[in-house]
Amino acid sequence: MANVLIDGLKDRISNAIVSNQSIGIILPGSNYPDLVQSLFEHIRCNPDEAWVYVTVNKPCENLFNEFEFLEESKNIRFIDCISRAAGISIVKNNCVLIESPTMLEKLVLEIMNTFKDVDVKTKKFLVLDSLTNLIIYNDPEIVTEFFYLIMNRTRAKNIHIVSIAVEEEDLDKYLNRLIYLNDKILKVRDSFI
Amino acid sequence: MKIVELSNDELCLSGIGELDVMLGGGIPTGSTVLVVGGSGCGKTTLCMQFLLNGAKNDERGVFFTITEPLFKLTKNLEGFDFYDKKLIESGMVNLIDLRIISERLGLDTEKYTVEDASALLDILKDIAEELNVKRLIIDSITALCYRLQTPEMIRDFIFKLGSSLAAMKCTTLLTSEVPPKKFQYSQYGIEEFISDGIIFLGDYERKGDLIRTFQIVKMRGASHSRTKYAMSISSKNGVELAPLLRSRE
Repeated sequence: MANVLIDGLKDRISNAIVSNQSIGIILPGSNYPDLVQSLFEHIRCNPDEAWVYVTVNKPCENLFNEFEFLEESKNIRFIDCISRAAGISIVKNNCVLIESPTMLEKLVLEIMNTFKDVDVKTKKFLVLDSLTNLIIYNDPEIVTEFFYLIMNRTRAKNIHIVSIAVEEEDLDKYLNRLIYLNDKILKVRDSFI
Repeated sequence: MKIVELSNDELCLSGIGELDVMLGGGIPTGSTVLVVGGSGCGKTTLCMQFLLNGAKNDERGVFFTITEPLFKLTKNLEGFDFYDKKLIESGMVNLIDLRIISERLGLDTEKYTVEDASALLDILKDIAEELNVKRLIIDSITALCYRLQTPEMIRDFIFKLGSSLAAMKCTTLLTSEVPPKKFQYSQYGIEEFISDGIIFLGDYERKGDLIRTFQIVKMRGASHSRTKYAMSISSKNGVELAPLLRSRE
């Protein structure tokens, strides 16, 4: 069942991202691990694409432990906003650490700098994991401003965005407002297949 | 006031992408610019990057320090990718400890008389002329002004220094130390009126974290932005600027 779910998610993401500049994925917390797995599976299967993965949710180290192939993957780079705030400062080749999830301007700069080294012709993708966690650490208005800024900057450089929003009752009004700024919304439900 | 469009040789490019865009191309050549900020705001780094970027573009520069010994200054620079030791070895960038010069001139290191100030001014001009520098930094003008005993002496010193260097088409940055979280440009309230430009570096507190900010307050002869930016300093890129997010300010 889990594989069917992940394959289904992978297909939906792959199809949506080809034709849209930005996609927002809104999902219940229970589906989050499947989504992350399907995203990484997609990245592994598409080595010609360049991905930047911003994690505000799990430290990079955890992701590397869970998906061992990531550490060796050449087509993905991580921006980790959570490790240093959690007192972890492990240095990895394909991972940049940001001091705190509140340093949103620094995050913008790091995202754009990371894409600078990528060949112009390469398809470029950015994952924001997740808007929910950004709102936990920042005022929602600031996150909205950040999201507009990053959308505009990435659009100008033809970078596609995948932003993840994990449903959270208290934050849903902010998340809905943010997620609908995307060109395409994917709502994930346990029974979607 | 009509802003005259300047051609490239009339502009001194900082080499910091976003800053040059904010300035409409660069700092008007020959300007004296006050770089203001509290401790840890990035004044010295900004000035050093400006100097080294100029040297990479064949513009010789000199950095006069009063606040930091040279070995500390160079040690701190080694962490930055913009630093190139060869530029110092080749004489494209010259680092000079102003306190040593003062001692060699036999000046009182604590308080300058009018004659002392005049002698120091002459030596600064001579060095700039002899090295044919196009970029000059004094870090900090506050520490130097502390040794000048009256407001008149401060005004006279900065005015004469600025005029002489402008005649040599040398662009000058003077760092000015101010207390944290105070929107003031200098300790003595004089420096900003004689300067052609003011760049204000500050801090912005968000959820307890301090974000560096950058703002051009004044730049005579340039149609510049006055927007407040977030400033980041990284070993790879040195000073970088991004729009400051401030929805609830």
